[in-house]
This record gives sequence, structure tokens and C-alpha cells, in this order.
Amino acid sequence: MTQRRNLQGNEACALGAIRAGCRFFAGYPITPSSEVAEAMARELPRVGGTFIQMEDEIASMGAVVGASMGGVKAMTATSGPGFSLKQENLGYACGAEVPCVIVNVMRGGPSTGMPTRPSQGDIMQTRWGTHGDHSIIVLAPASVAEAYSETIRAVNLSETLRVPVVVLLDEVVGHLVETVDLDAIPAGAEVWRKFATGPREGFEPYAVTDDLVPPMPRPGDGYRSHTTGLTHGPSGFPTQVPDQARAAIQRLSDKLDLHREAIESYRTRAIEDAEVLIVAIGITARAAQAAVTDLRAQGVRAGLFRPVTLWPFPEQALRDTVENSGARAVIVPEMNQGQMVLEVERLLAGRAEVHRLNRIDGEVIAPAQIARKAIEVLA
Amino acid sequence: MKDAMEQVASRDAGSAAEFDIRQYVRLDQMPHFLCPGCGHGIALRALLWAIHDLGLDKDKLAVVSGIGCSGRLSAYVDANSFHTTHGRPLAFATGLALARPDLHVIVITGDGDSLAIGGNHLIHACRRNLNMTCMMLNNEVYGMTGGQVSPTTSAGRLTTTTPAGNSEPVFDACALAAGAGATFVGREVTMQIVALRNLLRDAITHDGFSFVEVMSDCTEIFGRKNDLGSSPEMILSQKSAMRPFAYRNTVDEPFRPNTMPTGVLARHERAEYGAAYREMCARRQDKGAK
Amino acid sequence: MMDTLEIRFSGSGGQGLILAARILAAALVAQGRNVAQSQSYEPVSRGGLSRSDLVISDGEADFPLGGGLDYLLVLDSAAANASDALLGEKSVVLVDAELVPDPPKGAFSTRALPFAETARQLGNRRVANIVALGALAGSGPICDNTALEACLRDMAPAKYADLNVEAFRAGQRLVA
Repeated sequence: MTQRRNLQGNEACALGAIRAGCRFFAGYPITPSSEVAEAMARELPRVGGTFIQMEDEIASMGAVVGASMGGVKAMTATSGPGFSLKQENLGYACGAEVPCVIVNVMRGGPSTGMPTRPSQGDIMQTRWGTHGDHSIIVLAPASVAEAYSETIRAVNLSETLRVPVVVLLDEVVGHLVETVDLDAIPAGAEVWRKFATGPREGFEPYAVTDDLVPPMPRPGDGYRSHTTGLTHGPSGFPTQVPDQARAAIQRLSDKLDLHREAIESYRTRAIEDAEVLIVAIGITARAAQAAVTDLRAQGVRAGLFRPVTLWPFPEQALRDTVENSGARAVIVPEMNQGQMVLEVERLLAGRAEVHRLNRIDGEVIAPAQIARKAIEVLA
Repeated sequence: MKDAMEQVASRDAGSAAEFDIRQYVRLDQMPHFLCPGCGHGIALRALLWAIHDLGLDKDKLAVVSGIGCSGRLSAYVDANSFHTTHGRPLAFATGLALARPDLHVIVITGDGDSLAIGGNHLIHACRRNLNMTCMMLNNEVYGMTGGQVSPTTSAGRLTTTTPAGNSEPVFDACALAAGAGATFVGREVTMQIVALRNLLRDAITHDGFSFVEVMSDCTEIFGRKNDLGSSPEMILSQKSAMRPFAYRNTVDEPFRPNTMPTGVLARHERAEYGAAYREMCARRQDKGAK
Repeated sequence: MMDTLEIRFSGSGGQGLILAARILAAALVAQGRNVAQSQSYEPVSRGGLSRSDLVISDGEADFPLGGGLDYLLVLDSAAANASDALLGEKSVVLVDAELVPDPPKGAFSTRALPFAETARQLGNRRVANIVALGALAGSGPICDNTALEACLRDMAPAKYADLNVEAFRAGQRLVA
């Protein structure tokens, strides 16, 4: 039987997380992401999970990492100012390889900014928000159905790769209500991190395995290992021996490189013969879809490349798309002063001209605006 | 010293023989990094002794620490140990204890870690009453970063960031914890290791959040800077400044300072957070089913 | 395949615009259509410009925020001219005769109707949103009335169910 219903993007994140086995949520109220916490507070007890509203954003990130270290899938949700506050403990999750999911619903910034207005100003912060070299995965849904399916994927990727995963929405997608049939969205089998098994004696919690993802010890299973944010070798204890430090830091990024194929995801529309290619995420990508349809109706060969995995950016796929379509112009519309465009410029240097289309007034970029830009750059 | 020796002899002398600290520390992590004369080692010994006495399963023991000299102690405990971020061990421990009510969660923190950068987490942990024990090592200084002023540095003391002497008032950590609603609050000096062990035993078995402040000493940095003498001298003067809470009304008060009481300072019953949450949720589910 | 339809509920915060839009959205889904509902609001719960948009399509809409309104409801003068850029020749504009003294003007049809007045006559000025919903539903082939009334009973507080249905029907009569 079909279960079609109207669901909000933020709530879809909560339901997706629960569907993927998330059983712990710690959060702090902030617009425009509070509905994620509210849905979790309501839904988690129904599946035996635990919700807690912590005293601040920092604490809620800490509690999420703590719960996950206890062997329970955990998530939090926030927006700009709160995401800034979470960065140190997010870095801990990167360094200590603790699976967790952070939903960040982007609002206008900097600082308190425009709490109820959409933005895409955190594109670079999600990549480089916490200090030091680190790897992280960022998924950027563009619809309510995708908020659900990508949060499921976020939980699964965080588990299989022992890495924090950010689900990056803009305020519009977070608050958008769309008709979805959750039962029709393939959720797949539940995915768990590899828990440590085998001999306790001589166990190394950060041993280098073939897949570069060390099995994680679960408290109570008898391994009694040490977890620290200090740079650590295979034993889990701090090290400052140069070779060991380099290997430990390098493995974190090698790990994501090795599994890039499983991480990367993107969608395209009308790219085969596109002379102008639009690269966009979130609600801006939805506007770009309409723009492509309108442009095609006018005889302009426009196409869309939409990264669903924002970081690591689907590099080869974008290069191939430009090469195969022969597009001579690329437009990157985004609700910021130009962030994703920096990555696109880096990837396409010498291959196509890259144009910016930015909006920072708290309003979305309309399809007509993108269509006008496309006609302008082709002229 | 005689006073302390008598106490050791008179209280629980028997279990001292059975307790072998080597069963509770990671010998492969020795030698530890604490300075000679640092009181933190005594506090850790008292904690492990209490764990031994209570017969806690090491596999079910989680020791969570923050950053600073106190933060390094978790690495020496043969348990599930988590060395977290500065000021946040209580936040991490809250997630861990809520997600895994079957674990014994013990937080080791310091005066800077829990009263300055992590102050918010401390007061809310006290208010919430989630089942865990927080052992706060108060050595009046940021030792690991080289000796800066902390929220518990005594008036007039020299530190690297109070070159003219400390002009700030101190936090009374136990009064703060009790005021924030902690259901078990206690304080002890390292010199009274048996009393400290007993206090920690009571704290660990308390149902809810328990807070224990240990008056530690930083001989190498704080003591040296303020000319407080050797470690024995520091802990002796510390002991003479403390009075067991039970003696607070005794007549010798004019002759000895009585500003920092030791022992159990607050203890009362209140619903444990995790159990209360789970009960509320179950009640709501029942209502929904009707 | 049916055309995409765009409807905006606009007014000031607290008028129940978002609830009215949600009821219509639910009824449309029950009829097999796809709805995207978005809202814009100022950071206050009462007062301030408020709107909720429905983009109704078969399958997921390319752009869920729309760009040209088929129907516009205006329940407060705060919203009188906020949607001018989205109005075209085919637009149908329904405004509250009392609360919107200066309705949008242009090459589209505008009707001033007594939503607030009708609600007062029904004994509860807070059902003006449902009166307006009735008028909207009666203004064109948007949604089946039976489905709408079912959702109305389902989604609004039970003690107001009869009053809501009465308000809905009164709204329909305004445009009959």
C-alpha cells in the first residue's frame, strides 16, 4: 500500500536517520533546524532510542560523539552559529574516527545573520570548519525525498567509514514540505560499523587494515582501549614520533580516497549536448532544473550537474561531464558570494569558462535568473 | 603526618592489602607523565582503590577525561578510556551514559576543565542528575600550559598570567555543584587517601550524579612559583586548612581555619535522569497505545 | 498530465494561512497529486508578513517554489502588494474586502470577498482562513470538495470540526 504523504525536509532527516538505525540524538534549539530535534524527541522513544536537549551546541556535539563511542548510532542537527560552535568536537570525531551525523540547515550569515532566510554560505565551512588537516563527507539533498534518502546514506557512510558525515540543507529544503512515499524510497539493509572481534590481548584499536577503516571496539566487549583526540598510532595512545604521526594523519584522508566511489554521488540533466552547464546544489539546483527546461524550450542547449555528495567533490565526474558534452560555459549559481565555484574553477581550469551567479539577500535564485545568465554567457 | 597514619590504621586497614594497583593501571603506559610530587597520582590511586573495593567490572568501566594534567589520567586506567576535548568530558560522558546505562561512567576533570571552559556542562550535569561520578582535581592552576591562573587560584597567588598576584575571587566548586542541584557532593585532600577512597566509593554507588573535589597540589609549577615548599609541605598545609564537615561547629574554629570543609557536603535523593527519561517515555507510549 | 498549479496564501502571522494551505495540500495528495508547500515568515509568531505557497504537480516539481501564481489569497493589507511580481493575466486574486482596502490591481481578475465578516457571523473570527479556503476551492478546478472537507475534519482541532465545515461551505457560497 502506498504511504504518500506531505513531509517537511527537516522531519525527513529525522525519519531517515531513524530508518538507518540512529538511536541517539542530542541537540540544542536553533532556527531553522529545530524541527529535526522536535521530530527526534517525538520519534526516538518509539523505537527505544534516546533524545536529549543539551545545555548548548558544544555539549550536544560532545554527547553525540560520546553516545557513538558507546556503540550507538547518533546524530545532531543545527544551523550556522551552532555549527560553528560544534567544530571542535566535530574535529574530535574526525581524528578519533567516531561515526556520527550532523544535519546543518544553512541560514543567512555571518554571525546571527538572517535566521529564517535561506543561504548556502556554509559550503566551505562544512569542508574546512574544524581545524587541522582532516577528511569529512558532506551530502547536499535538494528535495524532501532526498533529505530522507541522503540522511540514510549519511548514517551508513559514517558507520562504514568511521567518519562524521554532514547533511547540508538550505533553509528552503529544510522547511519545504513535499509529497513523498517513504516506503518507495529504497533504504537498503541496515549498515553497522565493523565492531572489534577476536583476541583482546594485543588488540590495536587503530590497526591499519586493507580497507583503512579499523574495527571499532565497543565498551563492554572486553577490549578496554583508549580513545583520544591527540594524534595516535595503531595502539590508540598518543604519539609524536614523526613517522607514526604522518601515517596516522595520512590514513584519515587515504581512507576517504580509497572509498571515493562509494561516497561520491551526483545527478545530471540534459548534459549530453549541453553547451552551457549549470553546477548547483540544494534549492538552487531545483531552480536550475526549471531553468534547463525553460532554456531547452527556447532552443538553448543547457544542462545541469548536481553534486549530491558535495565533499569530497565529484571531481572526475564533473570533468568528464564537461568534456563529453563539450560545454563551453559553466555557471555556478549559489546563495553566497562564491564558494562552490572555487572548487569548480579549480577542476575546470583551462577546460571551460566558469561564471558566477550569486545572491546574498536572503532570497532564492529564481529559474529565470539562471536562464538569463545562461543566455548572457552564450551570447 | 601522625594524624594521617592513625586514620589509615583505624579505617579499613584490611582492604589495603588486597588492593594491587597494578591490576587497574596500564603498565605499558608507565612511567606516567606526572611531575614528582603531583597530587594527581594519589587521587588516581584512591579512585582505583574505590573501584577495586566495589568490585566494578573493568570491561564495564568507562573513564572519561578532558584536557589538562587531569585529562591525561584516563590513559593510565585499564578500562574503556576516553580522552576528550577541553572542558567537555561531562558532555561526552552524558551521551555515553545515556546511550549505555549498563556502564559505570567516571569523569576525571580539573579546575580549569570543569569550572572555566566547561562550567556550563558542570552545572547542567549537576542539575540533570544522570548516573555518573565526576572527580575534579583542583590544583589551583593550569599546569599543562605552564602555570596560568584558574578559577580556583587563591587570592594573591602568582601565576604566569597574574604576575602581580591573583586579584580574582575563587569558585567554591562544591558550593557551585550543590547550588546547581548535585545530589552528591564531597571534598577531600590527597593526604587523606583512605577518606578519599571512602568518599569516592560513596560517590560511585550514589544513584545519580556525584561530584567529588580533590584538593591536589601542583608542586613543580604552582608550588615553586609561590614558594610553597616541597610536596609534603604543600599537602600538609592543605590538610591544616581543611576541616571535616562534621567538625564545622567545634570550638577550635578560632584556632584553625575552617573555610574549606571536607567529607560529604551534600547528599540527597532525586530521580536519576536516565531512569526518569525512560519512564516518562514508556508512560507516553502506554497512553498512545490506549 | 494536468498542468502545474500555483497557489499562494498570504496575510499576516497568526491568521492560520499555513494550516489552510496544509489542509488543501493533504486533500490534493489524497487525490493523487504532488504538492510542494513552502512558507516565508518573519521571526515573530503573531503579526508580520506571512505566506504559504503550494506548487501542485504530477510528480516532483522541478522548482518547488513556483514563479507565476494561478491563485492568490490575500487576508491582510500587510500582504496586499507583496506578490505583484508573480501575478499574470491568468491569475485569480481573492482578497478580504474589509482587511485589504487596497487590493493588487492589474490585468488579472480580483475579487474582494467578506472572509472576516463571514467568520464573525459564524461566531468565530478565527475561521476566516477556512472561509477563504472555501472561496478558493469554489473559484476553480483545484480540488475535490469531499476530499477537502475530510481533511478539514481530520487536521483541525476536533471541537472546531463542525464550525470549520460550516465556514468552508460559507466560503464556497461567496463565490457561487
